[in-house]
Amino acid sequence: MTGTMMGEMKVPKTIMTVDDSPSMRMLLRAALSDLGYAVVEAEDGVHALEKLDGFEPDLLITDINMPRMDGYGLINEVRGQGRRSLPILVLTTESSDEKKQRARDAGATGWIVKPFHPEKLAAAIRRVLH
Amino acid sequence: MSALTNRDGLRRITVAQGETKVSDEEDVILTTVLGSCVAACFYDPVARVGGINHYLLADGTASDSASMERYGVYAMEVLINAMLAMGASRHRLKARIFGGAQMHAGFRDIGGSNIEFARGFLRGERIPLVGEDTGGFSARRVEFRPAVGLARCRSVTDTMPKPVIRQAPPPSIGDVEFF
Repeated sequence: MTGTMMGEMKVPKTIMTVDDSPSMRMLLRAALSDLGYAVVEAEDGVHALEKLDGFEPDLLITDINMPRMDGYGLINEVRGQGRRSLPILVLTTESSDEKKQRARDAGATGWIVKPFHPEKLAAAIRRVLH
Repeated sequence: MSALTNRDGLRRITVAQGETKVSDEEDVILTTVLGSCVAACFYDPVARVGGINHYLLADGTASDSASMERYGVYAMEVLINAMLAMGASRHRLKARIFGGAQMHAGFRDIGGSNIEFARGFLRGERIPLVGEDTGGFSARRVEFRPAVGLARCRSVTDTMPKPVIRQAPPPSIGDVEFF
């Protein structure tokens, strides 16, 4: 009986958030946890790559402007490792076409303008995860 | 932004609970009335851009947009991002905080929590807190000139803000684009 129940339990999808702002990470954690996702956080691109060593989240949400390694660098590194199927959403205050193009060229899946709108964020995640 | 022009030639724009406003216009005064709420005024002296928010609660776990706008952490992010979008730089920001009075003796000190949240947030974000008028037991009116970074705060006794029904955020907030 227990085995059946365990078999039916859904394992939550894991989302890695990468942002140098502690408050933005906290906001994202609150929103994503409420949606039923497990959350792993990183403070910048370098920190994210350290955590991604041997670990595969279901989705990566990254800021662009960060110290040490920015979002473009992170996306380039992740795609360079051969992780082509990992969806990557950029979450940033930037909104210029040039920067969007740069993210698209690096291999980002989508672009979300900060501050995020919880319902729009949820819809975007559903679209790439389900 | 709608505003009233006074005899002094300055336009006063009221910031309601849960709202955030930024401006780089020299003749604009952003004004709000605070009880236990806290308002943070941010200023970038190089870009000459400033802004103010007005939050009701330090923190919470609700993640629907209507609730999140009441929380300090959301209000701070909205303010910072709106200022960056107007040319401000995060490392140049300076902050003042106002409000956080204890308005109802015997109740949980919401004002104190709001003040502590603001101080902690600014520490975490490494934004210098260059002035504050917080705590106590009376409401305050804050007037902030965002383009010059000047803030004035005085106690008020008879004009506590009425609860405001928040409007939905602009539809462009959090826009998503897939590649």
